Amino acid sequence: MSLNADSANVAFTFKGGMLPMTVMELTSADPEHIRRQLAGKLSQSPAFFQHTPVVLSVEKLDEPHLALERICAVCRDHKLLPVAVRGGSEPVRQSAWALGLGWFAPVEESRARTLESVSRTPEPAGDEASSVSAAAPGEVDRRAATRLFRGTVRSGQQVSASDGDLIVIGAVNAGAEVLAAGSIHVYGALRGRALAGIHGNTHAGIYCRELEAELLSVAGNYKRMEDIDSQLLGCAAEVHFTKEQLEIKPLG
Amino acid sequence: MARIIVVTSGKGGVGKTTSAAAISTGLALRGKKTVVIDFDVGLRNLDLIMGCERRVVYDLVNVIQGEAGLNQALIRDKRVENLFILPASQTRDKDALTQEGVAEILEKLKEDFDFIICDSPAGIERGAQLAMYFADEAIVVTNPEVSSVRDSDRILGLLASKTQRAERGGDPIKEHLLITRYNPERVTTGDMLTLEDIREILSVHLLGLIPESEAVLRASNQGVPVTHDASSDAGQAYSDTVSRLLGEELPLRFHEVQRKGLLSRMFGGSRR
Repeated sequence: MSLNADSANVAFTFKGGMLPMTVMELTSADPEHIRRQLAGKLSQSPAFFQHTPVVLSVEKLDEPHLALERICAVCRDHKLLPVAVRGGSEPVRQSAWALGLGWFAPVEESRARTLESVSRTPEPAGDEASSVSAAAPGEVDRRAATRLFRGTVRSGQQVSASDGDLIVIGAVNAGAEVLAAGSIHVYGALRGRALAGIHGNTHAGIYCRELEAELLSVAGNYKRMEDIDSQLLGCAAEVHFTKEQLEIKPLG
Repeated sequence: MARIIVVTSGKGGVGKTTSAAAISTGLALRGKKTVVIDFDVGLRNLDLIMGCERRVVYDLVNVIQGEAGLNQALIRDKRVENLFILPASQTRDKDALTQEGVAEILEKLKEDFDFIICDSPAGIERGAQLAMYFADEAIVVTNPEVSSVRDSDRILGLLASKTQRAERGGDPIKEHLLITRYNPERVTTGDMLTLEDIREILSVHLLGLIPESEAVLRASNQGVPVTHDASSDAGQAYSDTVSRLLGEELPLRFHEVQRKGLLSRMFGGSRR
């Protein structure tokens, strides 16, 4: 209360927030190895590499000393912006702070997620990228990144699946927001805002039983309700990003 | 076991206080020992609607701050036995309410009462959140208009996340929808949202429907809760609402255009 005492005169307020964040789970400490894989990824989905903030997770590495500065440089070369490091030994933590990065405590194995689930396009077998991910120990099943929400998403609420698809069994009401790294499925009326492919996945789609959305977006390409063909409003519909624009068509 | 019920809405002016007063009166008339608490600190109205404004000495904030005992602040209703009012303070602001203080008062009231009705202020700020925090059930008051429905939707979201029951992860708050100021004629002409529209958007159990009625305004200004006016449509509708709250199943009334309707349906129907 006293914090708000002279609200006219404050320079800022602290607010808690849950932002979608990509975690880059390192399974190799070799900067050149990382560079080669990033180069491959960059050509596959350039939209993802737009100064995207990432958290470097080194939990799976068992190396007390990391060439953290070089790894960060490789990331920045590929338009990824390391903002923090998760896990690692005390020297790793110290060097993260020295580089101006934040440090997070490691999470339990069970909650670990991989970057792989962000991209839904299967990589060709034998490709370096897929061989690395297959080798990742304790990798969570890709489907585990799907989030299921039962009930009505109400005005002011935000439901997000930051690693995979989002399924809502119920309605998304006006003033509510649903977000997913992958696709969004709404088995009910979609009256609020739906943002699919929030990390740049242009293959993501939005599907709903009744289209009344305030805003539709796939990988940052959006349409407001005003831009939606009024004949489609109230119908079951699907939304995709094709030919450089959002395409909305009746479902089925 | 006492039932703590918050009457809330998000939007102002939809009939929260009127409904809190009418429902508490109805419960007391059925022999349930009931207390209604005004949480609208700084803008108190409940005492006016209940017609006890001249008898307020101490209020909720006095009790929380230890300046008065709970029994000193409780006002006994003059018309119905078993009904008590705990007024809000008009001179303090909402920051005078503390979660611990409210918890303590509710604990004491639970020993004596069957029903504790919390009349929430409008908005979603501290006062409204405290009014709903300890509730077992919520009555969300909604008018048949778009902005009211959206605010109710927002409140339902908060009920599911910002309450003690939500935080402890046990049984969720039981949510009821109360539609007030419903005017079947204006619904037919498309000026107001239909009952079905509201139910579909909010998808919450419908507790009652109160028709728009002159009796409500008259009751407010006279300081006599409309439940006492048993001949009025609104009074009967609140009485039905109370019955449903007590577990009876009653058909919905007052949601359709009255008899004169044959002509108006022929002409009014085509306008829709």
